[in-house]
Amino acid sequence: MHSVQHHGQQPRRPDLPHCCQPLSPFHNLQELRHSASLANKVFIQRDYSEGTTCRFQTKFPSELESRIERTLFEDTVKTLNNYYAEAEKIGGQSYLEGCLACSTAYLIFLCMETRYEKVLKKIAKYIQEQNEKIYAPRGLLITDPIERGMRVIEISIYEDRGSSDSSSGSSSSS
Amino acid sequence: TTFLVGSTTLFFCFTCPWLSEYFSSVIPIYTAVIFLFTLANFCMATFMDPGVFPRAEEDEDKEDDFRAPLYKTVEIKGIQVRMKWCSTCRFYRPPRCSHCSVCDNCVEDFDHHCPWVNNCIGRRNYRYFFLFLLSLTTHIINVFGFGLVYVLHHRQQLDTPHAAVTMAVMCVAGLFFVPVAGLTGFHMVLVARGRTTNEQVTGKFRGGVNPFTNGCMRNISHVLCSSQAPRYMGRWRSPQAVDVQPPFVRPPLTEAQLEAKVLDNGIQNDRHSTRSKSSLDQMESQSADAEPPPPPKPELRYPGLPRADTEESSLLTEAPHTPSMYKYRPAFNSPGRNHTALTHPNKMIRGESLDSPSPSILLSSHQPSYRSEPSSLDGTTAVGGGVGARRGGGERGEGPGGPGGTAGMMSGGMSGYSLTGRSYTSYPSSLVLSTGGSHSSSLRSAHLAHNPLATLQSEGTTDTSYKSLANQTPRNGSLSYDSLLTPSESPEFESVVSPSSPLQGYTSPFLSAQIAQQREGQLLQGSATFSSPHRAYLRAVSPPSPSSGPPEIQHLLQHNQDSSYRAPRNLSSLSSSPGALEPLTATCIYPLCVVPPPPPPFPDGCPIRSTSRPVLANHTTSKPGGGVKKVTGVGGTTYEISV
Repeated sequence: MHSVQHHGQQPRRPDLPHCCQPLSPFHNLQELRHSASLANKVFIQRDYSEGTTCRFQTKFPSELESRIERTLFEDTVKTLNNYYAEAEKIGGQSYLEGCLACSTAYLIFLCMETRYEKVLKKIAKYIQEQNEKIYAPRGLLITDPIERGMRVIEISIYEDRGSSDSSSGSSSSS
Repeated sequence: TTFLVGSTTLFFCFTCPWLSEYFSSVIPIYTAVIFLFTLANFCMATFMDPGVFPRAEEDEDKEDDFRAPLYKTVEIKGIQVRMKWCSTCRFYRPPRCSHCSVCDNCVEDFDHHCPWVNNCIGRRNYRYFFLFLLSLTTHIINVFGFGLVYVLHHRQQLDTPHAAVTMAVMCVAGLFFVPVAGLTGFHMVLVARGRTTNEQVTGKFRGGVNPFTNGCMRNISHVLCSSQAPRYMGRWRSPQAVDVQPPFVRPPLTEAQLEAKVLDNGIQNDRHSTRSKSSLDQMESQSADAEPPPPPKPELRYPGLPRADTEESSLLTEAPHTPSMYKYRPAFNSPGRNHTALTHPNKMIRGESLDSPSPSILLSSHQPSYRSEPSSLDGTTAVGGGVGARRGGGERGEGPGGPGGTAGMMSGGMSGYSLTGRSYTSYPSSLVLSTGGSHSSSLRSAHLAHNPLATLQSEGTTDTSYKSLANQTPRNGSLSYDSLLTPSESPEFESVVSPSSPLQGYTSPFLSAQIAQQREGQLLQGSATFSSPHRAYLRAVSPPSPSSGPPEIQHLLQHNQDSSYRAPRNLSSLSSSPGALEPLTATCIYPLCVVPPPPPPFPDGCPIRSTSRPVLANHTTSKPGGGVKKVTGVGGTTYEISV
């Protein structure tokens, strides 16, 4: 037969534009991939009730009402608060660090990472993990507060754009 | 700096060698150590980022930009602290943060801008600055002291260069000692009290209560021993490693939430439109539910709609809210922006149609009647608060703007409306810009008095005036929109419409084009459902004010007859004479519902030009009186019934 189809090519789909015709079994996934668009951003503000130590409000924002369970969100914020408290704790390690820095005329900062920076790295990893496991599947994304000067936690809400595409894509790919 | 370095060097060169020989070698070493320490602290204080806040990104301040209040209060350990809005950096300054005009940055825990160091002193470098002061004082004391010792020992040899230099150095040291020691002492007190220079100088805590202090020892340890705070500027931004793609997992919705979501669309418009009308009629100054529900927030925000959109464009982006159309809404929201422009006009139209049947009712009792309207439409008996609450639940996710505007009119139970308050940010601002300040300001004052939303706003802002602003603008928009679309309203509207009349002409053609597209598809669908809910609505509405009905009808009928043919053709003329809109409504409705009642003529009527033409054809044929009776609904909409 005169079929020009390559091996594995999907049958042509009349509902898609020419450029989007599936060329491979995986093509439908690509249509899916780009169908989430940023719809909104929620900002979790700082909780200053205990002074200027870094804490974020655990109040559940209304925009997330239909997107994520309340407990998950609160857990995330509480864990972040704990991390920040640990970073700002004044204790043995921070004192030693200060003394060491003084004695070396602060040259030690060129080599060593401060305690705070270490905790920040932990936080970044935690946020990344939360995003991957919990928030991205729900169409949400948490931005590290350090990027906003530790003033807010920014949660981006994504919406299903082109739901028809995704639904048809998913049906054909599934 | 030169003084410091220069004189110290001299000291070392001239005085120290003798001192080391005479007393011990420890002295120069000790002095050198202190000197190095001073220098190190000086460099850290000078070159370190004091804790500069990066500018807030544009999307963060979308709500804040047009906020009326300059301050936001926060309670810290029981004490109210004000956070001021920084217009340069675009956020509310955290407590103890201040904007340095020299550096043009907001600095965390701002102390002061030090000219000696030529840098701001903030959270990160305060410790170095303090240590610098301490070490400098010590160093000066050392130099002066040892110089004195040298001089005393060489009293007889004062003419030697060594002695002279030492004397000179002593003088310099003595001279600098006074201010430096003074400053050091001052800062020691500040540290002990847990205050910044800024706070001390501006006398913030003169009354005595400082919420930032944790006790003397703790304050000192905080300054000296806490870990180095991170810098905010110049950080490496990790690339977005997480891919967000649908399908998305959603938490299960409660039954009430689902119901609210579905019904909201239908109810919203009615409420809004009626409310705005009533408010317009009666109390111009009262905060009204700005009818045109602010465009759904999600769609508006990120499509990047400019704030300066005209009212109509923002109005147009609303989703259609016809009762029969409610089913569109969920779908509408997810596809997002693309539909907003199309759907918005529909929404407006629908609201209008509902309003038209009972303008009089609006006059008498806004809220009760409105509440019943949705309930009648929905078939539920929930009134007022119930509806609002449901709406709120349902709307939350979608972020529709409708309810928000009307909140002003509602008493209490409009919590649902407040949810959409956020979405208003861009909308209200655009409306304000387009409608002009005077109108909104009067509304604002009204809103402030009547706005129950203030308490409901969820973003942690205490800005009621902002909310009223949000409420107002949709109303302004709706004013013009309503006046255009609801011919029946014209009698009441005229007085209200005039302020916004310039907008009418502008909005109508635009709206009509948009609405027409949407309407055509929806008209046929909606007509059947419309008639019954509207009938119920009308019934509920009519009893209260039968008196106002007839005169209206007369008025409308006259308008109708005169301009029925003209109206569809020329919307601009419509804008100038609100009454002229009626015929349009009538003509549009005609093909859809021959039955008199006040069906949602609105949606049908509004479609405007494109649909009106074909309709008009029908109308013209039937109009000439051959068994066609014109009936004006309560709301002033005209219907033609074939007799």
